[in-house]
Amino acid sequence: MSADSTAQSTPPPVVQVRDMDFCYGASKALFDINLKVEYHRVTALIGPSGCGKSTLLRCINRMNDRVPSARVTKGEVLVKGKNIHDADVDLTQLRKQVGMVFQKSNPFPKSIYENVAYGLRIHGEKNKSVLDEAVERSLTHAALWEELKDRLHANALALSGGQQQRLCIARAIATVPDVLLMDEPCSALDPISTLKIEELMHQLAREFTVVIVTHNMQQAVRVSDYTAFLHLGKLVEFAPTEELFTNPREKLTDSYLRGTFS
Amino acid sequence: MTSLPTPSRPPLRSVLLRSRKHTILGFDPQKLIKYFFGSNASVAIIVLVLIMVFLLREGIDFLPTYQRELQTYRRAGLEFCDIIDQPLQRNQALSSSLRQAVSASLETLSKPARDRRDAAFLLKRRVEDKTLRPRESLTQVLEKTPPEPEQIEVLRRELGAASAAAAKALDYPAFFSTAEREQMQREFSALTPEVTDLPPLLLTLVEEFNAKDREARTQFAELVTAQEEFEEAAEPLQEVLDELKAKALETKEKAVEFEVLETNRQRLLEAAATETDPKEKASLTKEAEESVAEAANLEESTREITSRTGELREQVEKYAVVIEKAAAVLPKDAGTGAARKMVNDVREKIPEHAREMRAAAATLEGWRWDKPVSIFRVIGAFFFGTQWITNSSWQDFYGFVPLLTGSLVIAAIAILIATPVSVVAAIYTNQFASEREKELIKPVIEFIQAIPSVVLGFIGISLVGDLIKDVSEWSWLQWVPGFPIQERLNMFNAGCLLAFMAVPTMFSLSEDALNNVPRAYIDASDALGATKLQTVFRVIVPAGISGILSAILLGLGRVVGETMVVLLVAGNRIAIPDFSAGPGVIFQPAHTLTGIIAQELGEVSRGSSHWQALFMVGIVLFAISLLVNWCARAVARRFEPHKA
Repeated sequence: MSADSTAQSTPPPVVQVRDMDFCYGASKALFDINLKVEYHRVTALIGPSGCGKSTLLRCINRMNDRVPSARVTKGEVLVKGKNIHDADVDLTQLRKQVGMVFQKSNPFPKSIYENVAYGLRIHGEKNKSVLDEAVERSLTHAALWEELKDRLHANALALSGGQQQRLCIARAIATVPDVLLMDEPCSALDPISTLKIEELMHQLAREFTVVIVTHNMQQAVRVSDYTAFLHLGKLVEFAPTEELFTNPREKLTDSYLRGTFS
Repeated sequence: MTSLPTPSRPPLRSVLLRSRKHTILGFDPQKLIKYFFGSNASVAIIVLVLIMVFLLREGIDFLPTYQRELQTYRRAGLEFCDIIDQPLQRNQALSSSLRQAVSASLETLSKPARDRRDAAFLLKRRVEDKTLRPRESLTQVLEKTPPEPEQIEVLRRELGAASAAAAKALDYPAFFSTAEREQMQREFSALTPEVTDLPPLLLTLVEEFNAKDREARTQFAELVTAQEEFEEAAEPLQEVLDELKAKALETKEKAVEFEVLETNRQRLLEAAATETDPKEKASLTKEAEESVAEAANLEESTREITSRTGELREQVEKYAVVIEKAAAVLPKDAGTGAARKMVNDVREKIPEHAREMRAAAATLEGWRWDKPVSIFRVIGAFFFGTQWITNSSWQDFYGFVPLLTGSLVIAAIAILIATPVSVVAAIYTNQFASEREKELIKPVIEFIQAIPSVVLGFIGISLVGDLIKDVSEWSWLQWVPGFPIQERLNMFNAGCLLAFMAVPTMFSLSEDALNNVPRAYIDASDALGATKLQTVFRVIVPAGISGILSAILLGLGRVVGETMVVLLVAGNRIAIPDFSAGPGVIFQPAHTLTGIIAQELGEVSRGSSHWQALFMVGIVLFAISLLVNWCARAVARRFEPHKA
């Protein structure tokens, strides 16, 4: 695929999906997926509804494990070179390394501080100064610190929708993951909040590797370095964003981008 | 297209007015349906208001009625007597502790002898029981005239054989020597109906015991005499008091009688006033005039009582001196540890009792028969009264505290047991159970609700009561306060059953609360790498806490209002539980707000003060239920997370 050529000069990918098939029970949802996610880059997954982009995203932190009949039937997923389905992989550690932000903001009904500190607390961090420091750092990264530093102990559910989503980002990055998965993070937000989050993503890419699912192609253009186009469970094309959008190799990609998709 | 005919439309006017065409009795059917639904919804509210009005109407008269009764209680001098009589009640409690201490002390010496005597009597009784039939036949034949010597002889032999067999089959306790066993066997074989004297060995045993008992009494002479002195000390005082009480009671009866006659007279006069027929009117007036009763001269009667204040005070003082002396000579050593503890306890309490008596005597002078009883005092006497005494020949008291305490303690026990069980079960079912387990657990727990409470009461009486009693007698559980328990029917038993009844409510509501926790919270927690337990206890339970708390409160409401089980199982002793027993207090019997209404309302005459008092209890119960439910709602609102 096209991504192979660009991967030559860069360090080994942080996430690598190799020849993966994925099934929900008897029905196959993903076919023979190959994907490499580069360090400190934003990778966008686009495609029509039901194409399997969210499923692919959830394969990376094994969130699909919670669906009883869902499983990877072929191939493997490597995070930092380690097959995440190996028997010795600790799921809690994997999810600490691979954070996730959901489509709909879902802060806990706790204080802002407790929301951000939650990830550290469940991994056994009790030291108050460490927690304080992590909360400040994460909220700063999420561009919330200035807004919220005076009311860290207010209930998180009192925040606006955009703030809640950024709080969720802060919560996800508090444990310093290598990869941050974002599942249509802006789809429930107004344009201003969306803009703020898109700005945030560029900054986040300096510290983390971001994989974002989006149904909004302009957003993919704005925020991502690489774009993967999925269709009916198959990875049609994976290329640097500019290349994919200006000069798609596949006809299917071209027609999807033009909107003349049947 | 144009060839198609345009369907004809009805004229606009008729379309607009169509709704007017169908009316029922001049009403728009749409509105009628709306009103019908609305009225159904409001029926509940109307009924609730009616219940409140009815309860208040019946109960509110209680206060003036009780006020009148307390007024009479004072005016007739009953209150005067109670000033001394109430504290004197403690004399009995102290006496009984002393008696127990004495018998425990005596037993240290006389117990073996007594056991031997009792065992021998028991054995004799067994032989007699076993040979009942031949003996009865013999007795009948012996009574016959003329006597039939031959038949007597046959029956006598038969009885002898039966007795011998029975005596031989007896299981003789080890403390009888072989010689004694043989002697007993011989003597029991020779038992005949006409000889009523005890067999010689039994006589010896009785004598042995008496000797030991005498010996013990001399050894513990100090204790024995102190106990006797203490018991006798109250007698002269009690004598004076009884005299006064009789007098007061007589006065009270007169006063009550007069009141009844007077009310009747007033009614006659009222009837006469409204009567139009002059003849009838005259007859009513006449009847009223005839029934004029002489009012009891309360002042004179009470003066008779109060004139003896000096004598009474003197007696109290004498009593106090005597018991203090008795306390001083109470020996330090008693036969057993338990007895020593009791004696020490009594010694400590006697000065306090004497002080109390003297203080009571001092207030006698300040007592006035004609001081009015204020309404606040009546309210206090109801809400803070510690006695609920009805159908008494002396004076009825309607004190609320014993019932409230019973209800509260039982409810607290029930909630303490039911909360962990139902909440933990709800967490398990909602979060950990497989689908199949859910299908089993939920209907089974919800089925408990279908068990009639009277059946649970049965179970409490027959099964739980025995179980608790048996368990409380296990030797390795004796460290539990209150063990071994005295009463099978007690507050703990009732609390257990009420907990069982509250579990379905609390379980279902808690489970709902957990179920309502948004899925997104769980997603977020999982995505951060939380384990299942961390997610449950750090996210799901805190998010559902308002629902869980309100489930607990609604369970409390259910428990407080429950009647049948407490009536059957709580033991129904109307007294404030003795909290000095520590946590063991839960094994005491008690009565409850609900139980007392169910038990007594059917037996009292309508409109009497007792009837009204029960309605007052009902009002308070109603208020408590409202409060608990309101709290449940408030809690649900207070902790409700903002809708995400």
